[in-house]
Amino acid sequence: MDHSTSNHSAAASHPHRGRAPASSGVRYLAAVALVAVATGICEQARPFLSPVNMVMGYLLVVVLAAVFLGRRPAMASAFLGVLAFDYFFVPPRFSFRIADKEYLVTFLALFTVGGVISTLVARARESLEALKVRERQTTSLYHLSRDLAAAADAEAVLDAVVRNLEESLDSKLVVFLPKDGELALAAQSQGLEQDPDGLDLAGWCFRSRRMAGRGTDSFSSSTWTYIPLKALADTLGVLGVRFANGDAVESLQSHRLLNAFASLIAMALERVRLFQGAQEAQILKARENLERALLNSISHDLRTPLAVITGALSALIDEGEKLTGDSRTDLLLTARDEAGRLNRFVANLLDMTRLEAGALKLRLEPCDVQDLIGCALAAVEQRLGATEVAVQLEPELPLVSIDMVLMIQVLVNLLDNALKHTPAGGTIEISARQGDGQLAIAVADRGPGVPEHDLARIFDKFYSTPVPEGVGGTGLGLSICKGIVEAHGGTIRAENRDAGGLRVVVGIPLVEPREGETDHGV
Amino acid sequence: MVSESGGSKLPRILVIDDETAIQRFLKTALDDVEYSVHQATTGHAGLAAAVAVRPDVILLDLGLPDLDGIEVIRRIREWSQVPIIVVSVREREDDKVRALDTGADDYLTKPFGVGELLARVKVALRRSLQQVPEPVFRVDDLQVDLPHRRVSVRGAEVQLTPTEYELLRMLVTHAGKVLTHSQILKQIWGVAYLEQPHVLRVNISNLRRKIELDASRPRYILTEPAVGYRLKAGE
Repeated sequence: MDHSTSNHSAAASHPHRGRAPASSGVRYLAAVALVAVATGICEQARPFLSPVNMVMGYLLVVVLAAVFLGRRPAMASAFLGVLAFDYFFVPPRFSFRIADKEYLVTFLALFTVGGVISTLVARARESLEALKVRERQTTSLYHLSRDLAAAADAEAVLDAVVRNLEESLDSKLVVFLPKDGELALAAQSQGLEQDPDGLDLAGWCFRSRRMAGRGTDSFSSSTWTYIPLKALADTLGVLGVRFANGDAVESLQSHRLLNAFASLIAMALERVRLFQGAQEAQILKARENLERALLNSISHDLRTPLAVITGALSALIDEGEKLTGDSRTDLLLTARDEAGRLNRFVANLLDMTRLEAGALKLRLEPCDVQDLIGCALAAVEQRLGATEVAVQLEPELPLVSIDMVLMIQVLVNLLDNALKHTPAGGTIEISARQGDGQLAIAVADRGPGVPEHDLARIFDKFYSTPVPEGVGGTGLGLSICKGIVEAHGGTIRAENRDAGGLRVVVGIPLVEPREGETDHGV
Repeated sequence: MVSESGGSKLPRILVIDDETAIQRFLKTALDDVEYSVHQATTGHAGLAAAVAVRPDVILLDLGLPDLDGIEVIRRIREWSQVPIIVVSVREREDDKVRALDTGADDYLTKPFGVGELLARVKVALRRSLQQVPEPVFRVDDLQVDLPHRRVSVRGAEVQLTPTEYELLRMLVTHAGKVLTHSQILKQIWGVAYLEQPHVLRVNISNLRRKIELDASRPRYILTEPAVGYRLKAGE
């Protein structure tokens, strides 16, 4: 019962021995038993059969032995059959002596036919076995290639490799991939004790681009076999295999299969690598474009208010005495407002930079929504002019855990945006309500809205809708809102209102107060 | 406690800021008939000037080249209770809170307008000069009668819970000055409540509902985001 139990799953390991369920000793015994049975039957039939016809019974035994027991037991049964026939039935009975020399022809024929039949049957069976093995190999290659095709990154590739090969090779696996110029363990079968020489052998295999370890010409004393994962130009890694059945790796077929696996894996790794490269190039290009746009936008947005301030102040200094009191006041107010705009722009720019650098640390504190809205309104008060703001709050709103300064910035940006698109005398609506485990704060205007296909894009950096002259924005405000809200684990979305206008809804997750914080008196 | 500012002499303001442009602007804005402005551009010079000039108000920039602004406050507080108004940029809420908890009286966020600056200076000066608080506090339609524990808005009396009244009383006695969350929590609820900021939010919210005309646009109790609250200065 040594190797045969594992044969079933080990597609590559034993093409010759097929799947005979018994060891060779048992099979020879079976052959002897078959001959004995045939002899017994012939003995019973002796009164009705001539000895020559009994040969047919022994031929049948040979065929059966060839089909079920293999070639050698079949040959043995042919030989035994000849002996038994001679001893029991050829006169004189119970002696190997032969009275009629013609029986020698019968013996020869029985033996030859037995030999030929057993060879033919055994060969047919072997090719069937080989076919089955090949089919299993093809299936395992197919499964692997299917899983590899679906793998999007190196990790998924390795996962698919370990999962597929462990089963189809009945073996333990390791995969080494180069990392920072050094070969390093990237994946391995579960519960595997490390081969202490593994990294060295894999390294040799990696550099020489040749197989190493058991069943190869190099380092064949190892229990592992290492196969380089070769792409067109370079080696992408090393696959290490240790078969449960140690002899399996010796066969030519398992070498072929290993190489087939290796080239599949190498192709998948190469594909992932190329894909990542392409993606990085794309990101790089997008960033370049963004930076160019940022520079253009910044220089424009910084210079415009500066130009106005400089112009207004120099007019006051140079021509101050000639100006009427009204126009002097006008110039001063313009300069002050532009300075305020510049300040807001710089604040947004700083927020953006901190968001992008990941340096934004949230100072979370419990916060009253009404207070939050009040602070945002106080910040835009001066710019509201004749625009009305209607606030609608659901009663009994809970406190939310937010960074108040940043969330005020969100609302201020949303209000500024709404203000930009609201004609003087119009109304901006702010509302807050809770539901679905979150607090939803909405800022809505009655402006022109945004084309449906652009609704998601308005939170992109530098997206800007056409607005009346002089109120153009940087396209930074809403993307900062998105960044801040998402840093809170919240969501932000925009929708067009039924009767015209845009509504932006900020969703902030409501976290249950921690244990022990709820009881303290109010 | 505070340096003398005799009847005929102008109140002295010491400005500690390393930005010459800011110095120039503050001097122009303040240095007229109302105040006399003294200047220092480093922390050490500022500490020396505080001793020499004995100012009535100090305007302190937190970002000094030689000394941390918080350290300047600490050293001044070792011997003087002169009002200190901190000026800082928006991004440094933590610094503001630390400055206030260390002993600064108020803060202004850069950039600020002169009107705002003058209002803060006036509040600081009034508090440093006037030792006994007015028994009845009035601002716009809000009236708080401290001896009788009576609060009314536009003549109508308002019923407050004891905690709400204590909170309002604390704000009234520091009217015009910002109080940090931890200062309020410590005084009204005790040190154990420093980590329970929501009790303060809820009480402020309830108080506003009772005394503000529109709680979404409070006029009396003003929020200083991430820092604390300020009651509008009385008349």
